[in-house]
Amino acid sequence: MTRLVVGPFNRVEGDLEVHLEIAEGKVTLARVNAPLYRGFERMLEGRDPRDALTITPRICGICSISQSVAAARALGAAMGVAPTPEGARVAALIHAIENAADHVAHFNLFFMPDFTRPGYARRGWHARAVDRFTAIEGSAQREAVAARAALMHVLGQLAGKWPHTLAVQPGGVTRAPGPAEKMRILASLRGFRRYLEKVVFGAPVEDFVALGAESALMRWGKGDAGLFLEIAADLDLAAMGRGAGRYLAFGAYPLATGPAFPAGVWEKTGGPRALDPAGIREDLAYSWMMGAASHPSTGQTLPDEDMRGPAYSWCKAPRLEGQPMEVGAIARQVIAGHPLARDLARQGGVLARVAGRLLELARTQILMERLATDIDTSARFMAAPVAVPDAGSGAGLVEAARGALGHWLTIRKGVIANYQIVAPTTWNFSPRDAAGVPGPLEAALLGAQVWPDEPTPLSVQHIVRSFDPCMVCTVH
Amino acid sequence: MPQIETFYDVMRRQGITRRSFMKYCSLTAAALGLGPSFVPKIAHAMETKPRTPVIWVHGLECTCCSESFIRAAHPLAKDVVLSMISLDYDDTLMAAAGHAAEAALMDTIEKYKGNYILAVEGNPPLNEDGMYCIIGGKPFVEQLKMAAEHAKAIISWGACASYGCVQAAAPNPTRAVPVHKVILDKPIIKVPGCPPIAEVMTGVITYMLTFDRLPELDRQGRPAMFYSQRIHDKCYRRPHFDAGQFVEQWDDDYAKKGYCLYKMGCKGPTTYNACSTVRWNEGVSFPIQSGHGCIGCSEDGFWDQGSFYDRLTTIKQFGVEATADKIGLTAVGALGAGVALHVAASALKRAQKKTQEKTEA
Repeated sequence: MTRLVVGPFNRVEGDLEVHLEIAEGKVTLARVNAPLYRGFERMLEGRDPRDALTITPRICGICSISQSVAAARALGAAMGVAPTPEGARVAALIHAIENAADHVAHFNLFFMPDFTRPGYARRGWHARAVDRFTAIEGSAQREAVAARAALMHVLGQLAGKWPHTLAVQPGGVTRAPGPAEKMRILASLRGFRRYLEKVVFGAPVEDFVALGAESALMRWGKGDAGLFLEIAADLDLAAMGRGAGRYLAFGAYPLATGPAFPAGVWEKTGGPRALDPAGIREDLAYSWMMGAASHPSTGQTLPDEDMRGPAYSWCKAPRLEGQPMEVGAIARQVIAGHPLARDLARQGGVLARVAGRLLELARTQILMERLATDIDTSARFMAAPVAVPDAGSGAGLVEAARGALGHWLTIRKGVIANYQIVAPTTWNFSPRDAAGVPGPLEAALLGAQVWPDEPTPLSVQHIVRSFDPCMVCTVH
Repeated sequence: MPQIETFYDVMRRQGITRRSFMKYCSLTAAALGLGPSFVPKIAHAMETKPRTPVIWVHGLECTCCSESFIRAAHPLAKDVVLSMISLDYDDTLMAAAGHAAEAALMDTIEKYKGNYILAVEGNPPLNEDGMYCIIGGKPFVEQLKMAAEHAKAIISWGACASYGCVQAAAPNPTRAVPVHKVILDKPIIKVPGCPPIAEVMTGVITYMLTFDRLPELDRQGRPAMFYSQRIHDKCYRRPHFDAGQFVEQWDDDYAKKGYCLYKMGCKGPTTYNACSTVRWNEGVSFPIQSGHGCIGCSEDGFWDQGSFYDRLTTIKQFGVEATADKIGLTAVGALGAGVALHVAASALKRAQKKTQEKTEA
């Protein structure tokens, strides 16, 4: 048996280390460590509850709007105020743009460059991968960065600046777009559609959304998605890094009519069921954290400065009814009941996660256009002001690009008494729990192929990145 | 000293046209507040000077600075990041991983000893011997000190590296400190903001390349060309402030009319930054334009100054200048850094000169 420490990981938001035990060329044990801790939950204690709207987005410069929206929802729940319908619609549009931009960044800047590595030099697709996805210089990377920046003009218009907007509030948004802005937003969205259809999918996004099975997907053959699927077939990415088939979503883009992608739980063995957030516990058995396992509404963040064993990560281990859950684009699309996603979930490996993200990207384009078209510029975008109460509590459960994100807030004496955040990568990259059950990434790494001369095994790189980790959010 | 290609060589290799290149030079001249006569100078510098090697390291951070940077307005400005300034080591964007990445860092330091710029995003936590931010098995503070030792100058990107930012908010659980508390012997340029504006970031780098020196810095060590005016001075809502027309609550009729956000807690009158002129997301907008007051994210300690929605009480409606300047001065504190900065700028010049001599020799 050999031991291997893989890390630091590049092209990952934040810092990450993976410890592997390997026997006969396969990973037999994996431990995932998030080595970055800042203590946001501690800083929030004792502050004006509205400060959460400014502080929590700064947990992460990539999913900062997701943090904004979660904080606004948690605060709104504690204050007893909900966004106006148009406020909710614009907040959903702002949020969807960030998530779409994140999916584009993940595919082009973080995930695909691994296929340009010299280890793949003899593959038929290698030259094309190098041309398109060489880190920093590849032609696809340049197009992606440009398309993303152009899409984010909408965030400029609606959110003032990105990253770290201030426009999302418990009662709605501070920016009431006028008819002229609405036209400009629609024009920006059309530009992004052109990019997706010319470069990423090589065909109308509706065609990709219409795919109903993995077999049809593998015959796609167009755009950069086609190149990825060709590589996926050659390397059998479908079977690589298989998950446990337990998915969770908090529901994305809450509108007056309900979320655009629903909340729920889906298990390979049991099918879909409703989500009960009361069943969430954060387990601390293998985290450098003090205290007992508890629901986030009563949880605490007390770092064990001695970093005592057997703990090995700053990350807590969230579990739903005692089980680790995988979150992310594939989870959302499986729970939304999309036939392609459900088919991909049978294996639930690297292919499922990445193709699930592409599927969601196509669906999100259609959603963003609908949201923008439906904006009623004459309506109110913010509910009547409500004072922050002396005491109260609330939760904000939203979907970041990488999966389910929750904020739990308690107010006492007019200030924040407790604030707990469970981020998507906290779920996906959690350490073991008291029962010794590994987190989703740790489980997905078991059986990964490691060749004798690989100090940073390629399969491990693909599996880790297929989750689109955001390590700064993980521990915060 | 190995032969380093020029910026223009790199651009040509990337298939960038001459026309596009000249456009970038004019945009940069404009962004730096220089007249059209400087355009050929910038072009000449980019054609003849070796590209500046940059090592970009990340401590406790949220990566928002990198995110801002890769969306700079002109496509070429993005190329300044993605290729021109030769980001020889940047762990968010680079290809290598694991030990190869650490080796790349050591190689870059060795290869460009004394000639590279160290760009720092985020900051080091000092509590528990730096154990709250571990890079490659070692505390980030050690990586930072190692990379700084042979750097020509250091750029502190954003509020984290410049001042501490939110992770340093009370009670500062990890004792996160800005770069200048750890690195005491190098010229440091602070480019604060959470994040800084992309065009400000590329402008600072282009200036250093073009003129072989640090940009003029204010008493806090910020480039004066971008941080010498308050948001308030150039705010498009300023006439409403002067006329006493204010938004009273979110989305009220006054908000729809674009009145001043001072009563909603806007910190524009005490914040020095270029948001109201350069704006964000390719010049589209800035927070005040989105209907929310400025929170002063480029000012030291913005995270611990009471509620972000508290109205500034120390400025007067008229005669703002006298009082707000006083606030500015208080914020600056008695740094008395003018002399130190002059020394720092000379040190950079000396470093450049030495390099040139070496190249010639």
